[in-house]
Amino acid sequence: MPELVPSLLRQELARLAEEDSRLDGRGRWEPREITLETDCLYNAEGSAKVTMGGTIVYAGVKFELRTPWPDRPTQGSLMCGAELRPVAGRKYEPGPPSPQSIELSRVVDRGIRESGCIDMESLCIVPGEKVWGVMIDIHVLSDQGNIFDACGLAAIAALRTAVVPAERFDVGEDHKLQVSSTPIMASFTRAGGRFVYDASEEEELGGDERIHITLGDKGHLHSLQKGLKGVFTPAEFAEIFDEAQKHCVVLRKLVAKEEGN
Amino acid sequence: MGGYGDVQLLREDGSRLDGRKLDEMRPVKIEAGVLPAADGSAMVTHGLNVAVAAVYGPMEAHPRKIQRQDRAVIDVRYNMAPFSTSDRIRPGFNRRSREISKVTAEALESVVLVELYPRSKIRVEIEILAAEAGTRCAGITAAAVALADAGIPMRDLIVGVASGKIEDTVVLDLDKAEDNYGQADLPVGILPNTGEIAFLQMDGDLSPDEYNLAMEYNFKAAKEIHEVMVEALQRRYQGGDV
Repeated sequence: MPELVPSLLRQELARLAEEDSRLDGRGRWEPREITLETDCLYNAEGSAKVTMGGTIVYAGVKFELRTPWPDRPTQGSLMCGAELRPVAGRKYEPGPPSPQSIELSRVVDRGIRESGCIDMESLCIVPGEKVWGVMIDIHVLSDQGNIFDACGLAAIAALRTAVVPAERFDVGEDHKLQVSSTPIMASFTRAGGRFVYDASEEEELGGDERIHITLGDKGHLHSLQKGLKGVFTPAEFAEIFDEAQKHCVVLRKLVAKEEGN
Repeated sequence: MGGYGDVQLLREDGSRLDGRKLDEMRPVKIEAGVLPAADGSAMVTHGLNVAVAAVYGPMEAHPRKIQRQDRAVIDVRYNMAPFSTSDRIRPGFNRRSREISKVTAEALESVVLVELYPRSKIRVEIEILAAEAGTRCAGITAAAVALADAGIPMRDLIVGVASGKIEDTVVLDLDKAEDNYGQADLPVGILPNTGEIAFLQMDGDLSPDEYNLAMEYNFKAAKEIHEVMVEALQRRYQGGDV
Protein backbone atom coordinates (compact mmCIF):
# COMPACT_ATOMS: atom_id res chain seq x y z
CA MET A 1 0.00 0.00 0.00
CA PRO A 2 1.16 3.52 -0.78
CA GLU A 3 1.80 4.44 2.85
CA LEU A 4 5.12 5.93 1.80
CA VAL A 5 3.43 8.53 -0.38
CA PRO A 6 0.48 9.96 1.55
CA SER A 7 1.45 13.53 0.70
CA LEU A 8 1.51 12.75 -3.02
CA LEU A 9 -1.81 10.95 -2.58
CA ARG A 10 -3.25 13.99 -0.79
CA GLN A 11 -2.17 16.24 -3.65
CA GLU A 12 -3.74 13.89 -6.18
CA LEU A 13 -7.01 13.71 -4.22
CA ALA A 14 -7.09 17.54 -4.04
CA ARG A 15 -6.52 17.80 -7.78
CA LEU A 16 -9.28 15.27 -8.50
CA ALA A 17 -11.64 17.11 -6.15
CA GLU A 18 -11.22 20.28 -8.21
CA GLU A 19 -12.28 18.33 -11.29
CA ASP A 20 -15.14 16.76 -9.28
CA SER A 21 -13.65 13.33 -9.99
CA ARG A 22 -12.32 10.41 -7.94
CA LEU A 23 -9.37 8.01 -8.16
CA ASP A 24 -11.58 5.21 -9.47
CA GLY A 25 -13.64 7.53 -11.66
CA ARG A 26 -16.74 7.49 -9.47
CA GLY A 27 -19.00 10.48 -8.86
CA ARG A 28 -18.75 12.16 -5.47
CA TRP A 29 -21.81 10.38 -4.06
CA GLU A 30 -21.56 7.20 -6.10
CA PRO A 31 -21.11 3.87 -4.26
CA ARG A 32 -19.03 0.94 -5.47
CA GLU A 33 -20.83 -2.26 -6.40
CA ILE A 34 -22.59 -3.73 -3.36
CA THR A 35 -23.64 -7.34 -2.86
CA LEU A 36 -25.59 -8.83 0.02
CA GLU A 37 -26.08 -12.52 0.75
CA THR A 38 -27.87 -13.90 3.82
CA ASP A 39 -28.04 -17.34 5.48
CA CYS A 40 -24.50 -18.07 4.34
CA LEU A 41 -22.90 -19.42 7.54
CA TYR A 42 -23.91 -22.93 8.61
CA ASN A 43 -23.51 -22.64 12.38
CA ALA A 44 -24.80 -19.08 12.85
CA GLU A 45 -28.48 -18.54 13.71
CA GLY A 46 -28.52 -15.58 11.33
CA SER A 47 -25.82 -14.55 8.89
CA ALA A 48 -24.89 -12.19 6.10
CA LYS A 49 -22.02 -11.50 3.75
CA VAL A 50 -21.58 -8.00 2.34
CA THR A 51 -19.15 -6.88 -0.34
CA MET A 52 -18.56 -3.23 -1.22
CA GLY A 53 -15.98 -3.14 -3.98
CA GLY A 54 -13.03 -5.12 -2.58
CA THR A 55 -14.28 -4.92 1.01
CA ILE A 56 -15.68 -8.21 2.34
CA VAL A 57 -17.48 -8.56 5.68
CA TYR A 58 -19.35 -11.44 7.32
CA ALA A 59 -21.75 -11.14 10.27
CA GLY A 60 -23.10 -14.02 12.33
CA VAL A 61 -25.76 -13.99 15.05
CA LYS A 62 -25.58 -16.34 18.05
CA PHE A 63 -27.90 -16.65 21.06
CA GLU A 64 -27.19 -17.60 24.65
CA LEU A 65 -29.33 -18.02 27.74
CA ARG A 66 -28.41 -15.75 30.62
CA THR A 67 -29.81 -14.29 33.79
CA PRO A 68 -31.15 -10.75 33.32
CA TRP A 69 -29.57 -7.71 34.97
CA PRO A 70 -31.19 -7.25 38.42
CA ASP A 71 -32.51 -3.77 37.50
CA ARG A 72 -34.04 -5.03 34.23
CA PRO A 73 -35.48 -8.45 35.09
CA THR A 74 -37.68 -8.67 31.97
CA GLN A 75 -35.15 -7.59 29.37
CA GLY A 76 -32.76 -9.60 27.23
CA SER A 77 -29.60 -8.11 25.81
CA LEU A 78 -27.94 -7.29 22.52
CA MET A 79 -24.23 -7.13 21.89
CA CYS A 80 -22.47 -6.27 18.69
CA GLY A 81 -18.76 -6.93 18.24
CA ALA A 82 -16.55 -6.33 15.23
CA GLU A 83 -13.19 -7.98 14.86
CA LEU A 84 -10.48 -6.32 12.81
CA ARG A 85 -8.18 -9.29 12.61
CA PRO A 86 -4.92 -9.34 10.65
CA VAL A 87 -6.66 -11.27 7.86
CA ALA A 88 -8.36 -8.03 6.79
CA GLY A 89 -5.30 -6.28 5.48
CA ARG A 90 -1.57 -5.70 5.64
CA LYS A 91 -1.98 -2.82 8.06
CA TYR A 92 -3.73 -4.88 10.75
CA GLU A 93 -1.64 -6.36 13.55
CA PRO A 94 -2.44 -9.27 15.81
CA GLY A 95 -3.19 -8.52 19.43
CA PRO A 96 -5.99 -7.40 21.71
CA PRO A 97 -8.87 -5.40 20.16
CA SER A 98 -7.52 -2.12 18.79
CA PRO A 99 -9.20 1.24 19.51
CA GLN A 100 -10.30 1.22 15.84
CA SER A 101 -12.11 -2.10 16.16
CA ILE A 102 -13.74 -1.02 19.42
CA GLU A 103 -14.96 2.20 17.79
CA LEU A 104 -16.30 0.23 14.83
CA SER A 105 -18.13 -2.22 17.12
CA ARG A 106 -19.65 0.50 19.22
CA VAL A 107 -20.82 2.66 16.31
CA VAL A 108 -22.52 -0.32 14.65
CA ASP A 109 -23.95 -1.42 18.00
CA ARG A 110 -25.41 2.02 18.76
CA GLY A 111 -27.11 2.33 15.39
CA ILE A 112 -28.91 -0.98 15.85
CA ARG A 113 -29.61 -0.64 19.58
CA GLU A 114 -30.87 2.96 19.50
CA SER A 115 -33.16 2.36 16.53
CA GLY A 116 -35.18 0.15 18.89
CA CYS A 117 -35.52 -2.49 16.18
CA ILE A 118 -35.17 -5.21 18.84
CA ASP A 119 -37.68 -5.13 21.67
CA MET A 120 -35.59 -6.24 24.65
CA GLU A 121 -38.77 -7.36 26.46
CA SER A 122 -39.39 -9.89 23.67
CA LEU A 123 -36.12 -11.61 24.65
CA CYS A 124 -37.45 -12.50 28.11
CA ILE A 125 -38.20 -16.17 28.80
CA VAL A 126 -38.70 -16.25 32.60
CA PRO A 127 -38.68 -12.79 34.27
CA GLY A 128 -35.77 -12.39 36.65
CA GLU A 129 -34.37 -15.79 35.71
CA LYS A 130 -33.86 -16.45 32.05
CA VAL A 131 -33.50 -14.14 29.04
CA TRP A 132 -31.87 -14.37 25.62
CA GLY A 133 -28.56 -12.69 24.96
CA VAL A 134 -28.25 -11.87 21.27
CA MET A 135 -24.71 -11.57 19.96
CA ILE A 136 -23.79 -10.21 16.56
CA ASP A 137 -20.19 -10.91 15.63
CA ILE A 138 -18.81 -9.12 12.61
CA HIS A 139 -15.74 -10.44 10.84
CA VAL A 140 -13.91 -8.21 8.37
CA LEU A 141 -12.08 -10.44 5.88
CA SER A 142 -10.89 -7.84 3.38
CA ASP A 143 -10.63 -4.10 4.01
CA GLN A 144 -10.52 -2.00 0.87
CA GLY A 145 -12.33 0.96 2.37
CA ASN A 146 -15.58 1.87 4.14
CA ILE A 147 -15.77 -1.12 6.47
CA PHE A 148 -18.20 0.80 8.71
CA ASP A 149 -21.05 0.72 6.19
CA ALA A 150 -20.28 -2.88 5.23
CA CYS A 151 -20.30 -3.94 8.90
CA GLY A 152 -23.52 -2.04 9.63
CA LEU A 153 -25.29 -3.59 6.65
CA ALA A 154 -24.05 -7.12 7.40
CA ALA A 155 -25.10 -6.81 11.05
CA ILE A 156 -28.70 -5.72 10.42
CA ALA A 157 -29.15 -8.17 7.54
CA ALA A 158 -27.88 -11.06 9.70
CA LEU A 159 -30.13 -9.98 12.56
CA ARG A 160 -33.18 -9.80 10.31
CA THR A 161 -32.67 -13.40 9.15
CA ALA A 162 -31.94 -14.81 12.63
CA VAL A 163 -33.92 -17.71 14.07
CA VAL A 164 -34.03 -18.04 17.87
CA PRO A 165 -32.77 -21.62 18.58
CA ALA A 166 -35.22 -22.23 21.44
CA GLU A 167 -35.46 -25.98 20.80
CA ARG A 168 -31.72 -26.52 21.22
CA PHE A 169 -31.89 -24.77 24.60
CA ASP A 170 -35.12 -26.56 25.58
CA VAL A 171 -37.15 -23.37 26.07
CA GLY A 172 -39.91 -23.69 23.47
CA GLU A 173 -40.09 -23.73 19.69
CA ASP A 174 -37.65 -22.13 17.26
CA HIS A 175 -38.98 -18.83 15.97
CA LYS A 176 -37.84 -15.91 13.89
CA LEU A 177 -36.22 -13.09 15.86
CA GLN A 178 -38.55 -10.07 15.88
CA VAL A 179 -36.75 -7.14 14.23
CA SER A 180 -39.12 -4.25 13.66
CA SER A 181 -37.02 -1.97 11.46
CA THR A 182 -33.86 -1.74 9.36
CA PRO A 183 -31.37 0.88 10.60
CA ILE A 184 -28.74 1.62 7.93
CA MET A 185 -25.40 3.41 8.16
CA ALA A 186 -23.99 5.82 5.58
CA SER A 187 -20.39 7.01 5.91
CA PHE A 188 -18.61 9.98 4.38
CA THR A 189 -14.88 10.68 4.28
CA ARG A 190 -13.19 13.98 3.53
CA ALA A 191 -10.92 13.30 0.56
CA GLY A 192 -9.27 16.13 -1.35
CA GLY A 193 -10.98 18.66 0.89
CA ARG A 194 -14.57 17.61 0.26
CA PHE A 195 -16.74 14.78 1.56
CA VAL A 196 -17.30 11.68 -0.58
CA TYR A 197 -19.58 8.68 -0.02
CA ASP A 198 -18.25 5.11 0.30
CA ALA A 199 -14.55 6.00 0.42
CA SER A 200 -12.01 3.58 -1.02
CA GLU A 201 -8.92 2.49 0.89
CA GLU A 202 -6.78 5.09 -0.94
CA GLU A 203 -9.26 7.86 -0.17
CA GLU A 204 -9.17 6.88 3.51
CA LEU A 205 -5.37 6.80 3.47
CA GLY A 206 -5.02 10.24 1.85
CA GLY A 207 -8.14 11.71 3.44
CA ASP A 208 -9.15 13.32 6.71
CA GLU A 209 -12.11 12.93 9.04
CA ARG A 210 -15.04 10.63 8.48
CA ILE A 211 -18.67 10.94 9.54
CA HIS A 212 -20.99 7.99 10.12
CA ILE A 213 -24.76 8.49 10.12
CA THR A 214 -27.22 5.72 11.01
CA LEU A 215 -30.82 6.31 9.96
CA GLY A 216 -33.99 4.42 10.80
CA ASP A 217 -36.94 3.53 8.58
CA LYS A 218 -38.47 6.99 8.98
CA GLY A 219 -35.22 8.80 8.28
CA HIS A 220 -34.61 9.57 11.95
CA LEU A 221 -31.04 9.74 13.26
CA HIS A 222 -30.04 6.88 15.57
CA SER A 223 -26.28 7.22 15.75
CA LEU A 224 -23.67 9.72 14.69
CA GLN A 225 -19.93 9.52 14.92
CA LYS A 226 -17.13 11.72 13.76
CA GLY A 227 -13.78 9.94 13.57
CA LEU A 228 -10.19 11.01 12.85
CA LYS A 229 -8.60 14.45 12.80
CA GLY A 230 -10.49 17.24 11.09
CA VAL A 231 -13.37 19.68 11.37
CA PHE A 232 -16.53 20.26 9.36
CA THR A 233 -19.20 22.96 9.05
CA PRO A 234 -22.96 22.65 9.66
CA ALA A 235 -23.49 23.34 5.94
CA GLU A 236 -21.25 20.40 5.03
CA PHE A 237 -23.19 18.17 7.42
CA ALA A 238 -26.50 19.28 5.88
CA GLU A 239 -25.22 18.24 2.47
CA ILE A 240 -24.07 14.76 3.51
CA PHE A 241 -27.17 14.24 5.64
CA ASP A 242 -29.32 14.65 2.52
CA GLU A 243 -27.13 12.16 0.69
CA ALA A 244 -27.27 9.75 3.64
CA GLN A 245 -31.07 9.75 3.46
CA LYS A 246 -30.98 8.68 -0.20
CA HIS A 247 -28.35 5.97 0.26
CA CYS A 248 -30.05 4.50 3.32
CA VAL A 249 -33.31 4.10 1.38
CA VAL A 250 -31.45 2.24 -1.39
CA LEU A 251 -29.66 -0.11 1.04
CA ARG A 252 -32.84 -0.75 3.03
CA LYS A 253 -34.50 -1.88 -0.21
CA LEU A 254 -31.53 -4.18 -0.85
CA VAL A 255 -32.05 -5.81 2.58
CA ALA A 256 -35.79 -6.17 1.91
CA LYS A 257 -35.10 -7.72 -1.49
CA GLU A 258 -32.67 -10.26 0.02
CA GLU A 259 -35.42 -11.16 2.52
CA GLY A 260 -37.78 -11.73 -0.40
CA ASN A 261 -39.96 -8.66 0.14
CA MET B 1 -12.07 -38.46 21.70
CA GLY B 2 -15.45 -38.24 23.36
CA GLY B 3 -17.88 -40.77 24.80
CA TYR B 4 -17.19 -43.91 22.81
CA GLY B 5 -19.80 -46.63 22.71
CA ASP B 6 -22.99 -44.79 23.56
CA VAL B 7 -23.82 -43.47 20.09
CA GLN B 8 -24.33 -45.60 17.00
CA LEU B 9 -22.26 -44.21 14.12
CA LEU B 10 -22.57 -47.02 11.58
CA ARG B 11 -25.79 -48.37 10.10
CA GLU B 12 -26.72 -52.06 9.94
CA ASP B 13 -25.47 -52.22 6.34
CA GLY B 14 -22.07 -50.83 7.36
CA SER B 15 -22.53 -47.37 5.83
CA ARG B 16 -22.07 -44.17 7.82
CA LEU B 17 -24.90 -42.03 9.20
CA ASP B 18 -24.57 -39.45 6.41
CA GLY B 19 -24.60 -42.25 3.81
CA ARG B 20 -20.89 -42.17 3.00
CA LYS B 21 -18.80 -45.27 2.43
CA LEU B 22 -15.95 -45.95 4.87
CA ASP B 23 -13.33 -44.52 2.53
CA GLU B 24 -15.42 -41.69 1.14
CA MET B 25 -14.68 -38.07 2.01
CA ARG B 26 -17.08 -35.17 2.22
CA PRO B 27 -17.34 -32.96 -0.88
CA VAL B 28 -14.59 -30.37 -1.22
CA LYS B 29 -14.87 -27.06 -3.07
CA ILE B 30 -12.01 -24.60 -3.41
CA GLU B 31 -11.84 -21.06 -4.75
CA ALA B 32 -8.56 -19.14 -5.09
CA GLY B 33 -8.20 -15.37 -4.89
CA VAL B 34 -11.30 -14.59 -2.82
CA LEU B 35 -9.95 -11.66 -0.75
CA PRO B 36 -8.99 -8.52 -2.71
CA ALA B 37 -6.97 -7.03 0.17
CA ALA B 38 -4.64 -10.02 0.47
CA ASP B 39 -1.59 -10.90 -1.65
CA GLY B 40 -3.01 -14.41 -1.98
CA SER B 41 -6.16 -16.06 -0.66
CA ALA B 42 -8.40 -19.10 -0.87
CA MET B 43 -11.69 -20.41 0.47
CA VAL B 44 -12.07 -24.13 1.15
CA THR B 45 -15.49 -25.66 1.76
CA HIS B 46 -14.95 -29.19 3.09
CA GLY B 47 -18.31 -30.72 3.93
CA LEU B 48 -19.89 -28.09 6.16
CA ASN B 49 -16.52 -26.59 7.16
CA VAL B 50 -15.60 -23.24 5.66
CA ALA B 51 -11.97 -22.08 5.95
CA VAL B 52 -10.59 -18.88 4.45
CA ALA B 53 -6.86 -18.19 4.22
CA ALA B 54 -5.12 -14.92 3.44
CA VAL B 55 -1.39 -14.54 2.71
CA TYR B 56 0.53 -11.28 3.12
CA GLY B 57 4.17 -10.94 2.13
CA PRO B 58 6.97 -11.73 1.95
CA MET B 59 7.46 -8.57 4.02
CA GLU B 60 9.97 -7.20 6.48
CA ALA B 61 10.05 -9.32 9.62
CA HIS B 62 9.54 -7.27 12.73
CA PRO B 63 10.26 -7.18 15.60
CA ARG B 64 13.84 -7.92 14.54
CA LYS B 65 14.29 -10.69 17.04
CA ILE B 66 12.00 -12.95 14.97
CA GLN B 67 14.19 -12.49 11.87
CA ARG B 68 16.20 -15.43 10.63
CA GLN B 69 19.37 -14.64 8.70
CA ASP B 70 19.02 -17.59 6.35
CA ARG B 71 15.31 -17.81 5.65
CA ALA B 72 11.82 -16.36 5.94
CA VAL B 73 9.65 -17.05 8.96
CA ILE B 74 6.04 -18.04 8.43
CA ASP B 75 3.65 -16.47 10.89
CA VAL B 76 0.38 -18.44 11.00
CA ARG B 77 -2.75 -17.54 12.87
CA TYR B 78 -5.54 -20.12 12.92
CA ASN B 79 -8.70 -18.53 14.31
CA MET B 80 -12.28 -19.71 14.68
CA ALA B 81 -14.88 -16.99 14.14
CA PRO B 82 -17.20 -16.55 17.15
CA PHE B 83 -20.18 -17.73 15.06
CA SER B 84 -18.40 -20.75 13.53
CA THR B 85 -19.63 -23.30 16.07
CA SER B 86 -22.89 -24.32 17.67
CA ASP B 87 -22.04 -22.49 20.92
CA ARG B 88 -20.46 -19.09 20.38
CA ILE B 89 -16.70 -18.93 20.90
CA ARG B 90 -15.31 -15.99 22.83
CA PRO B 91 -13.07 -14.03 20.40
CA GLY B 92 -9.32 -14.28 20.79
CA PHE B 93 -6.64 -16.93 20.99
CA ASN B 94 -6.97 -20.00 23.16
CA ARG B 95 -4.58 -22.90 23.79
CA ARG B 96 -6.06 -24.99 21.01
CA SER B 97 -5.76 -22.29 18.34
CA ARG B 98 -2.21 -21.44 19.46
CA GLU B 99 -1.10 -25.03 19.13
CA ILE B 100 -2.75 -25.49 15.73
CA SER B 101 -1.18 -22.22 14.53
CA LYS B 102 2.27 -23.38 15.64
CA VAL B 103 2.25 -26.81 14.02
CA THR B 104 0.59 -25.44 10.86
CA ALA B 105 3.35 -22.81 10.55
CA GLU B 106 6.00 -25.51 10.90
CA ALA B 107 4.27 -27.63 8.27
CA LEU B 108 4.12 -24.70 5.83
CA GLU B 109 7.78 -23.82 6.51
CA SER B 110 8.60 -27.32 5.30
CA VAL B 111 7.09 -26.74 1.85
CA VAL B 112 7.65 -23.04 1.17
CA LEU B 113 11.14 -22.24 -0.22
CA VAL B 114 11.80 -20.05 2.83
CA GLU B 115 15.53 -19.85 2.07
CA LEU B 116 14.72 -17.54 -0.86
CA TYR B 117 13.57 -14.78 1.51
CA PRO B 118 16.10 -14.29 4.31
CA ARG B 119 15.10 -11.94 7.16
CA SER B 120 11.53 -11.65 5.90
CA LYS B 121 8.15 -12.80 7.11
CA ILE B 122 5.19 -14.39 5.36
CA ARG B 123 1.89 -13.94 7.17
CA VAL B 124 -0.75 -16.64 6.80
CA GLU B 125 -4.15 -15.91 8.34
CA ILE B 126 -6.56 -18.86 8.58
CA GLU B 127 -10.11 -17.94 9.53
CA ILE B 128 -12.70 -20.65 10.18
CA LEU B 129 -16.19 -19.38 9.34
CA ALA B 130 -18.03 -22.66 9.90
CA ALA B 131 -16.71 -25.61 11.91
CA GLU B 132 -18.02 -29.19 11.66
CA ALA B 133 -14.91 -31.33 12.40
CA GLY B 134 -11.78 -31.11 10.32
CA THR B 135 -11.13 -27.38 10.38
CA ARG B 136 -7.36 -27.62 10.86
CA CYS B 137 -7.14 -29.75 7.72
CA ALA B 138 -9.38 -27.41 5.72
CA GLY B 139 -7.21 -24.56 7.01
CA ILE B 140 -3.98 -26.21 5.83
CA THR B 141 -5.46 -26.84 2.39
CA ALA B 142 -6.68 -23.23 2.19
CA ALA B 143 -3.28 -21.91 3.31
CA ALA B 144 -1.50 -23.92 0.62
CA VAL B 145 -3.75 -22.59 -2.15
CA ALA B 146 -3.44 -19.04 -0.79
CA LEU B 147 0.38 -19.29 -0.75
CA ALA B 148 0.35 -20.49 -4.34
CA ASP B 149 -2.10 -17.71 -5.24
CA ALA B 150 0.33 -15.20 -3.70
CA GLY B 151 3.03 -16.51 -6.03
CA ILE B 152 5.23 -17.77 -3.21
CA PRO B 153 7.59 -20.54 -4.40
CA MET B 154 6.90 -23.94 -2.85
CA ARG B 155 8.38 -27.42 -3.21
CA ASP B 156 4.88 -28.84 -3.45
CA LEU B 157 1.35 -28.05 -2.34
CA ILE B 158 0.25 -29.41 1.02
CA VAL B 159 -3.11 -31.08 1.56
CA GLY B 160 -4.86 -31.36 4.92
CA VAL B 161 -6.84 -34.59 5.40
CA ALA B 162 -7.90 -36.78 8.31
CA SER B 163 -8.98 -40.34 8.93
CA GLY B 164 -10.16 -41.85 12.17
CA LYS B 165 -11.88 -44.73 13.88
CA ILE B 166 -15.54 -45.16 14.76
CA GLU B 167 -17.07 -48.32 16.23
CA ASP B 168 -13.74 -50.14 15.82
CA THR B 169 -13.78 -49.31 12.11
CA VAL B 170 -11.31 -47.07 10.28
CA VAL B 171 -13.05 -44.35 8.23
CA LEU B 172 -11.92 -41.44 6.10
CA ASP B 173 -12.73 -37.83 7.03
CA LEU B 174 -14.69 -37.79 10.30
CA ASP B 175 -17.76 -35.54 10.45
CA LYS B 176 -18.96 -33.78 13.60
CA ALA B 177 -20.78 -36.72 15.20
CA GLU B 178 -18.00 -39.16 14.29
CA ASP B 179 -15.41 -36.79 15.75
CA ASN B 180 -17.40 -36.31 18.95
CA TYR B 181 -18.19 -39.97 19.58
CA GLY B 182 -15.44 -41.75 17.66
CA GLN B 183 -12.32 -43.50 18.97
CA ALA B 184 -9.47 -41.88 17.06
CA ASP B 185 -8.58 -39.03 14.73
CA LEU B 186 -5.46 -38.80 12.54
CA PRO B 187 -5.13 -35.44 10.76
CA VAL B 188 -2.14 -35.09 8.44
CA GLY B 189 -0.69 -32.65 5.92
CA ILE B 190 0.48 -34.50 2.82
CA LEU B 191 2.74 -33.28 0.01
CA PRO B 192 0.87 -34.82 -2.92
CA ASN B 193 3.74 -34.95 -5.41
CA THR B 194 6.56 -36.12 -3.16
CA GLY B 195 4.39 -38.30 -0.91
CA GLU B 196 5.95 -36.78 2.20
CA ILE B 197 4.13 -35.78 5.39
CA ALA B 198 4.61 -32.29 6.82
CA PHE B 199 1.84 -32.21 9.42
CA LEU B 200 0.91 -34.99 11.81
CA GLN B 201 -1.31 -35.19 14.83
CA MET B 202 -3.33 -38.00 16.33
CA ASP B 203 -5.46 -38.70 19.34
CA GLY B 204 -7.43 -41.70 20.49
CA ASP B 205 -6.60 -45.37 20.07
CA LEU B 206 -5.33 -47.04 16.87
CA SER B 207 -3.63 -50.39 16.36
CA PRO B 208 -0.62 -50.42 14.00
CA ASP B 209 -2.80 -52.00 11.30
CA GLU B 210 -5.51 -49.41 11.82
CA TYR B 211 -2.90 -46.66 11.58
CA ASN B 212 -1.68 -48.06 8.26
CA LEU B 213 -5.20 -48.24 6.86
CA ALA B 214 -6.04 -44.72 8.08
CA MET B 215 -2.88 -43.41 6.44
CA GLU B 216 -3.75 -45.25 3.22
CA TYR B 217 -7.15 -43.52 3.23
CA ASN B 218 -5.45 -40.18 3.89
CA PHE B 219 -3.13 -40.53 0.89
CA LYS B 220 -6.06 -41.49 -1.33
CA ALA B 221 -8.05 -38.45 -0.20
CA ALA B 222 -5.03 -36.15 -0.54
CA LYS B 223 -4.80 -37.10 -4.19
CA GLU B 224 -8.47 -36.20 -4.73
CA ILE B 225 -8.21 -32.89 -2.88
CA HIS B 226 -4.98 -32.04 -4.71
CA GLU B 227 -6.87 -32.21 -8.00
CA VAL B 228 -9.47 -29.75 -6.68
CA MET B 229 -6.67 -27.41 -5.49
CA VAL B 230 -4.97 -27.47 -8.88
CA GLU B 231 -8.29 -26.84 -10.66
CA ALA B 232 -8.96 -23.84 -8.39
CA LEU B 233 -5.55 -22.34 -9.23
CA GLN B 234 -6.01 -23.03 -12.93
CA ARG B 235 -9.42 -21.33 -12.87
CA ARG B 236 -7.87 -18.36 -11.13
CA TYR B 237 -5.14 -18.03 -13.74
CA GLN B 238 -7.28 -18.81 -16.78
CA GLY B 239 -6.12 -22.30 -17.61
CA GLY B 240 -2.39 -21.76 -17.12
CA ASP B 241 -0.22 -24.69 -16.07
CA VAL B 242 0.21 -25.05 -12.32
